[in-house]
Amino acid sequence: MVKYVIKRIVLMIFTFLVIATMCFVLIKLLPLPAIKSQGRDVEIILMRREMMGYNKPIMVQYYRYWKNVLHGDFGVGEQMYPSLEVADIMMQKMPYSIVLNLYSILIAIPIGLLFGIYAALKKNKWQDHLISTAVMIFISVPSYVYAFLVQYILCFKLGAFPLTAASMEEAKSFFSWTMFYSLVPAILSSAFGTVAGLTRFTRAELSEVLTGDYLLLARTKGLTRSQAIVRHAMRNAMVPILPMILGEFIGILGGSLIIENIFAIPGIGKLYTTAINVRDYNFFMADTFFYTLIGLASGLVIDLSYGFIDPRIKMGER
Amino acid sequence: MKKLLALLLAACMLFSLAACGDNGDTPAVSGDQGGNAVPDGGNVEPAVEYPTFDLGAVDLVEAEVGEDQTVGHDSFAGEAGKDYTDLKEYTYNDYTAGNQNLNFNPISWETNEDSAIFGYTTSSLYDWRLNSTKDGWSIVPEMAAGLPEDVTADYVGRFGIQEGDDHRAYKITLNPDICWQDGTPITADDYIYTWQMQLDPIQANRRADSLYAGSYVISGAKEYFYQGKSAFSSFDSLGTDYAGFINQGHTDDDVYIDLANFWGIAYEDGTTYGKITDETLIRDPAVEEGQDGDYVSPKYLWDNYLGPNGAYAGTGNDTQFVGSLQSYEANYSWDNVGLLKTGDYEIVLVYTKPLYSPEYYIPYNVYDFLINRPLYESLLKYYDANGNEVPAGDPSAVSTTTTYGTTPETYMGYGPYVLTTMELDKQMVYTRNENWWGYKDGKHTGMYQTDKVVVSVIPEQATALLALLNGEIDGVGLTAADMEKYGSSDNIYYTPDSYTTKLSFNTDEASLAQRGTQVLGNLNFRKAFGLAIDKATFVQSFTASAQVGHGLLNYMYLYDPFSGGVYRETEGAKKAIVDLYGLTYGEGGDFDTLDEAYDAVTGYDLDQARQLMALAYDQCVADGSYTPGQKVTLDIRVYSTDETYVNMFNFLKDALESACVGTGFEGNVTLSMTADADYYETMYAGNTDVIFTTWGGAASSPYTMLYECYCDASDGSGNQMEYGFDTSKVMVTIELNGHEFTNNLQAWALWCDDSDADANLVSNDGELTLGMFSTYDNVTRSEIFGKLEYAYLANWTTVPLYYRMSASLLSQKVNYATREYVDMVGFGGLQYATYNYDDTEWEAVKSTLQY
Repeated sequence: MVKYVIKRIVLMIFTFLVIATMCFVLIKLLPLPAIKSQGRDVEIILMRREMMGYNKPIMVQYYRYWKNVLHGDFGVGEQMYPSLEVADIMMQKMPYSIVLNLYSILIAIPIGLLFGIYAALKKNKWQDHLISTAVMIFISVPSYVYAFLVQYILCFKLGAFPLTAASMEEAKSFFSWTMFYSLVPAILSSAFGTVAGLTRFTRAELSEVLTGDYLLLARTKGLTRSQAIVRHAMRNAMVPILPMILGEFIGILGGSLIIENIFAIPGIGKLYTTAINVRDYNFFMADTFFYTLIGLASGLVIDLSYGFIDPRIKMGER
Repeated sequence: MKKLLALLLAACMLFSLAACGDNGDTPAVSGDQGGNAVPDGGNVEPAVEYPTFDLGAVDLVEAEVGEDQTVGHDSFAGEAGKDYTDLKEYTYNDYTAGNQNLNFNPISWETNEDSAIFGYTTSSLYDWRLNSTKDGWSIVPEMAAGLPEDVTADYVGRFGIQEGDDHRAYKITLNPDICWQDGTPITADDYIYTWQMQLDPIQANRRADSLYAGSYVISGAKEYFYQGKSAFSSFDSLGTDYAGFINQGHTDDDVYIDLANFWGIAYEDGTTYGKITDETLIRDPAVEEGQDGDYVSPKYLWDNYLGPNGAYAGTGNDTQFVGSLQSYEANYSWDNVGLLKTGDYEIVLVYTKPLYSPEYYIPYNVYDFLINRPLYESLLKYYDANGNEVPAGDPSAVSTTTTYGTTPETYMGYGPYVLTTMELDKQMVYTRNENWWGYKDGKHTGMYQTDKVVVSVIPEQATALLALLNGEIDGVGLTAADMEKYGSSDNIYYTPDSYTTKLSFNTDEASLAQRGTQVLGNLNFRKAFGLAIDKATFVQSFTASAQVGHGLLNYMYLYDPFSGGVYRETEGAKKAIVDLYGLTYGEGGDFDTLDEAYDAVTGYDLDQARQLMALAYDQCVADGSYTPGQKVTLDIRVYSTDETYVNMFNFLKDALESACVGTGFEGNVTLSMTADADYYETMYAGNTDVIFTTWGGAASSPYTMLYECYCDASDGSGNQMEYGFDTSKVMVTIELNGHEFTNNLQAWALWCDDSDADANLVSNDGELTLGMFSTYDNVTRSEIFGKLEYAYLANWTTVPLYYRMSASLLSQKVNYATREYVDMVGFGGLQYATYNYDDTEWEAVKSTLQY
């Protein structure tokens, strides 16, 4: 197992380097944004780009970039947040996204599991049909639609929650009651999709397990239905469900552009797309590093989790 | 399998590294100009038909210096009976849709979001205020103790000032009460230090050019900033051309091409200009490798385009993009810069040319944001060429960084409010600056009732509107969809701005041919398309409050800022529009007066559009630009595919197809939409047919617009959006004082721009040479400019649609000083805002109010 983990980590590092290199090359192949700026001296912009090393051959830039990154320096913004440290900006914006997504999945997971289990147990009855219909609606409708609905109904019409997320001046802490309360509309909007997905997945897995021969055997051995479901069906159904939940947890580092915009949450969701659109090299690379690492790490953790959830699954063995 | 995967990944990495090496010669400015102007390295041969214009006579009347140019100094003293000093708490809750970029360093800020902080935390030497009758503006000394004083005579022998010169040097005495937010006095040293840092060559601060760009240039500022460097100077700016330059004793080795602006290329080391004799091949990133033109040399560009036998000889490009290299003196002394301290509370500004009406132009132009020396020095880091940090003053230092003006702790203000807290892209809070002199000097009565300002970031307008209705913010911009509900609200305010939104057409034959859209090169086709657009319906459907527009300039532009005279309301400007749409007036005309004719212009005439389209069809078939039955789809690039853009596109598509009804184009010519966030760049590269464009500028200088935004470059290298429309080939004749002047439109526009003393025009008979445009009176200038505006519009390479105006809803907590928008001061600003409720009262009533 240890050998397998080491192998995976080495491969992960290698993959990370390849992706980072390719992204570096590709973004550098794109031209910088125009410097036509009415009334401004173009030479100043060229001077600043020279100071940032943009005139050097890409190999030199690549070497310098890695040298700086290994010293913890991801550079400063040019098109976005000019002259400000990229890492500082990301670290300031990340907590909002983490808090929002953390609350969202902490609420979504138990609800999703409960609905999924209930629907599986009531398969093909009206309760199942009701839940499945709702699930289809929440999966099909884009999140911004119910985000606007939540905001309009709960925040504006009923006045139950603030329209936008609290600032740190009001909330004092990311984990204060004020912050949580102000994030409830965003959490709900963000959780609907996760609840629906998890409900559907749990229902499908549990339904399949419930039809297994071994459950019939368990019942014939004298276990009650509840005992058979809890001791056997649930444990087996959790093998694919738990990695999915783990994936959700790892995904809390990423932001949601639309939800963050609607509820004025200064999270990380907008950074990546903006960096590509305005071609800010340093922000793009830092975001690439960040999301690549999340993706690779989540893949590794999910793979490893199978072995822990079900001891019959042995990782890295033939 | 794993080995195979590893090999595959390794191959990818090698490929990437190979790509690195191959791209080493990509210049830093490869995309700066959106690619070069000529697809596939071909030539720009405009398909647009260039009519000649004989536009009648104008009597030249010279302006008298100082005539009617008086500045008011009376300011509104607040609402009678209003207590501005009560102990209640008043908070103004503002919002911004865009992210805060958080670089509010006064000498290197970038965007409007960055500079918004200065409105709260700084004061100016001179303050623009609502006048006492609330119908105009006044200028009041704030950090200055009085008005600028002409001290040119004291500087004879320095800065090129000669005996008898005047209006070159001005002394400003500072208000002795001014201080930083921590109470430390501000003196002349603070101004001088800020300007020195601003112009420090190794800092390359973004606002350095505020001291040397534009019409009013500080003497020696550019020389100090560029010291030891070389910069390209075009023949236009040197007042000569290639032949004249050579006649001065220079050789071809002294002649350079501005590679970046002409062709969008640069040498490997980033150098953007090259000798016309240089045969070094430079990679052109706009052309695919292996295709013709993937590598070009300066000599190639000279021989084929800009030289005496090139395609652009005599077009103006050969003086705009060709010139010489001006080397700036190394170790240029600060003593030669016209920014002087003459006492602890006295500064002197020396300009390169006379500056008349200093009471207006110094407050308007002077760059007076300050940086705090101790704080700035503590945050400034120096680096050598290898990127290693070196001590301040180290001769190896070549660049700097600073975090000044990025957080409340790294910023020092000196205005009525202090930035107290700031959260990235979320909120900024300002509270009263208890050390601000204005609260104690008795000169600000009736001002600053606001105790606290909270600026929140709310990206979605829909959320912001709900927040206003909930009483959480005090103002919100409205969309067209909001107008149905709130258009009649008592709390709505209309703010005009200087921008005109229009359609811009590509008329370059080569790029139209690539897409098979050569019909757009036909003047009658473009005119027919323009006349088929029902502008009134368009504006009503897609804008909140814009005004139908037909001219390049809207009603915001003042030909005389002192009197408030509006260019668009002059006879010359009205006549341009009336003539454009063919209306007649006077005896035998359709209307009795010019005003009646002007008021009757709608810009929409479907019958005429169809007649012109039929004519265009015949012409296009005849000249081979259209084959009967050929399907033509014009491409319009829009920023995004949101609902508004889609509806606007459908509207225009219907208009075009309607114009084609009954003609040979019917059923064959249509419009398609492409979402393109870089649509301006796409047009600059000639890669689309139509885009929406919006241009605007300083409301007090209307006459610079024609050259700087419309006639500067037809090949995408300047600001001009109408790609391929070469204004240097549009000949315009105007009779001035009995002498005919025939020049191309670009030359006329450059003369109106007033930036080049050598751009003065000479009559056809050679007997009359015009002075600079600014030396003529307002009527003369508006008449001439109106004719030139007509000449531009009559080519129908652009169709103005509307003059932008925004509508906003103000909360019932706050009142502005005036409901009528006033040039320069808007509705009076926050300084004159008053409150109907304090914060406690507002909490109780805010959600019960209707709008």
